[in-house]
Amino acid sequence: MALSMMESNNRLIYNDAGQGPVQHQFSPYTDNGGSIVAIGGPGFAIIASDTRLTSGFAIYTREQGKLHSLTNAAVLGASGCWCDVLSLTRLIQARMKLYKHEHQKDMSAAALAQMLSTMLYGRRFFPYYVSNVIAGLDEEGNGVVYSYDPVGHCDKNMYHAGGSSGALLQPLLDSQIGLKNMAIKPTAPLTVEKALQITKDVFTSAAERDIKCGDGVIIRIITKDGIREETFKLRFD
Amino acid sequence: MFLTRSEYDRGVNTFSPEGRIFQVEYAIEAIKLGSTVIGICTSEGVVLVVEKRITSPLMEPSTIEKIAEVDKHIGVACSGLTADSKTLIDRARLESQNHWFTYNEKMSVESVSQAVSNLAIKFGDSDDDEGAMSRPFGVALLFAGCDEKGPQLYHMDPSGTYVQYDAKAIGSGSEGAQQTLVEMYNKTMTLKEATKTSLTILKQVMEEKLNSTNVEVAVVTPTARFHMFSKEEVEEAIKDVA
Amino acid sequence: MSSSALVPQVPSGGFNFSNYQRNVSLCASGFPAPKTTKTGTTIVGCIFGSREDIGVCLGADTRATSGNIVADKNCEKIHRIAERIYCCGAGTAADTEFTTKKIESQLELLKLNLGREVPVVVANRLIKQLLFRHQGHISAALVLGGVDNNGAHIYCIYPHGSTDRLPYATMGSGSLAAMSVFEGGWKDNMTEAEATKLVRDAIAAGITNDLGSGSNVDINIIRKNLPKPVIMRNMEIIGVKGERMGDYTYPKGTTKVLKTEVIPIKVEDEVVERMDTDQD
Repeated sequence: MALSMMESNNRLIYNDAGQGPVQHQFSPYTDNGGSIVAIGGPGFAIIASDTRLTSGFAIYTREQGKLHSLTNAAVLGASGCWCDVLSLTRLIQARMKLYKHEHQKDMSAAALAQMLSTMLYGRRFFPYYVSNVIAGLDEEGNGVVYSYDPVGHCDKNMYHAGGSSGALLQPLLDSQIGLKNMAIKPTAPLTVEKALQITKDVFTSAAERDIKCGDGVIIRIITKDGIREETFKLRFD
Repeated sequence: MFLTRSEYDRGVNTFSPEGRIFQVEYAIEAIKLGSTVIGICTSEGVVLVVEKRITSPLMEPSTIEKIAEVDKHIGVACSGLTADSKTLIDRARLESQNHWFTYNEKMSVESVSQAVSNLAIKFGDSDDDEGAMSRPFGVALLFAGCDEKGPQLYHMDPSGTYVQYDAKAIGSGSEGAQQTLVEMYNKTMTLKEATKTSLTILKQVMEEKLNSTNVEVAVVTPTARFHMFSKEEVEEAIKDVA
Repeated sequence: MSSSALVPQVPSGGFNFSNYQRNVSLCASGFPAPKTTKTGTTIVGCIFGSREDIGVCLGADTRATSGNIVADKNCEKIHRIAERIYCCGAGTAADTEFTTKKIESQLELLKLNLGREVPVVVANRLIKQLLFRHQGHISAALVLGGVDNNGAHIYCIYPHGSTDRLPYATMGSGSLAAMSVFEGGWKDNMTEAEATKLVRDAIAAGITNDLGSGSNVDINIIRKNLPKPVIMRNMEIIGVKGERMGDYTYPKGTTKVLKTEVIPIKVEDEVVERMDTDQD
């Protein structure tokens, strides 16, 4: 798994005097935290991120959203190594402009999804340390969610949780949106209101237990009428 | 030293005092020596018909390939120096595949024409650009394809200029054929009618009689996409051509 | 007393190192040791008042972490050492708890032997000697505070055994945030109310600005002229628990029953046994 590269930093090493010199290594990566949740439904897609940017135990800022509106039908959520997020999103925007000039049209969510995948794989051996999620509308106007690993593997889903709280939130979404392992399931299709409520509650829960998640949430709701934004407060400790 | 007029046609990177690049114009002239190619775009799809010159009875006609598939949804027909067309068709195929690879969608006909045109104008004396030609390409191409804008026909000449057409003829019989196309074309014609029309015009400009070995026919439709006619299908198509 | 395979011998005290070599080789072959619970932590202490009206104010947050996860939202970090000596602990939770507990029992024994209240310096000396003996492997960073006949004292004790005697001190990952409040607001001869406010602000700064600290403010006040300390557990809730909008209870029957099997308990025999309580 691509994420294993940071593992050695967290490993507890029994290093006593007399066991040789201690090696210090420079790492070009830093983890600035950030969590993303995206949910797609009939006629809409929503994507949300927390607004806390961290470094170790310190808070850089309490108001840095991690969403990037790419087109009227696609929003990218990117978190991880913030400098990589900045340069990757800049590059995506440049590539989108080139595409528009070359092909005289806006990129579809599917084209964006594939382009991001190839861009990430292009850095297979020096990857962007970024957890990416794209939420958007497909050709029929229904919500889609694309999620990535750092080297370009792309999954097309209806919901995804990524970033520092990803492992905490994904099982919750599996239950509440995916309705997994239920003998009695709600039959009504997912509404924007319900998805919005779950998104907010899920972040409230993450802020309770993930030290990197907190301060606030920024939510973008994508429908055929455009992109609407909402904000939401979280605990700040 | 004063250069006489005729000396301006030596270099591909030299304009004449009248503002012309003779080598490009000569290349366009070369097309007029090529076999005739006709393309017609209808609302149902695009048809391409070409004349194959069988100069010797010992020749194997199937090895003359004037129509090629660029991608599942785009075909191309060429007239002029056929060898040059191979390089351009290779580029068209490469660009189309690369587009699919990076964006997971089919490349538009216009974008393919644009991409090939970029290669067509990459000629010059310098040795810097490995792989670039020292002279203009000696072929004209007709791109036929169906993308999200529907069926389309594009023409590209050795100068790299590409223009969309409803119907276009290139090659030795192009002048007469184009005239007839203007008269016979209408927006409402079916693909079948267009095939018949193009073959009728081709027949008029060809010295030989139409048969299944000396013509090639291909259609591109939104559903079946690129389809090259088999020998039987060609025979069927030319049967009722007056 | 003899030991058997079933009943292990009562350990003789101190640490057991018998698995050390095994753990080193496990670690080297890719099985890292499990994470210990840390008390990320902001802890502070300061002296207020003067002469007979002197006292100390100790403060701590209540978050315990395991990596990036909050392990306990309301843990206690101010430990009792003696009746009028308390100690805030930062570092590995187990180390701070056991170190303070060990010293608490030693001081109690000492008090009984001497027949008088043990001064704060003694607590400080016992702790630093314990920590130094273990060369920093006991990850306890402490703020020791208390009053005795000599006045009020705050000691800052580092994991390797060095100590500072200070009028005000901060420790833990939030120590910088807390110290900035102390440096900005501390003065000599503060009243109890002023000191409490300052300590509360320092801990609040740690809770809000340090990711290792969070939840609530705990404060203990020990005064020379008061026999008992004032313990203000959760005196302020800084990190308020978020409220969920939805209802996440599942209707009965949501979990599929795959198999049902009832095993009745059969009583085969009833025996009454007397326990011999006079063991030697």
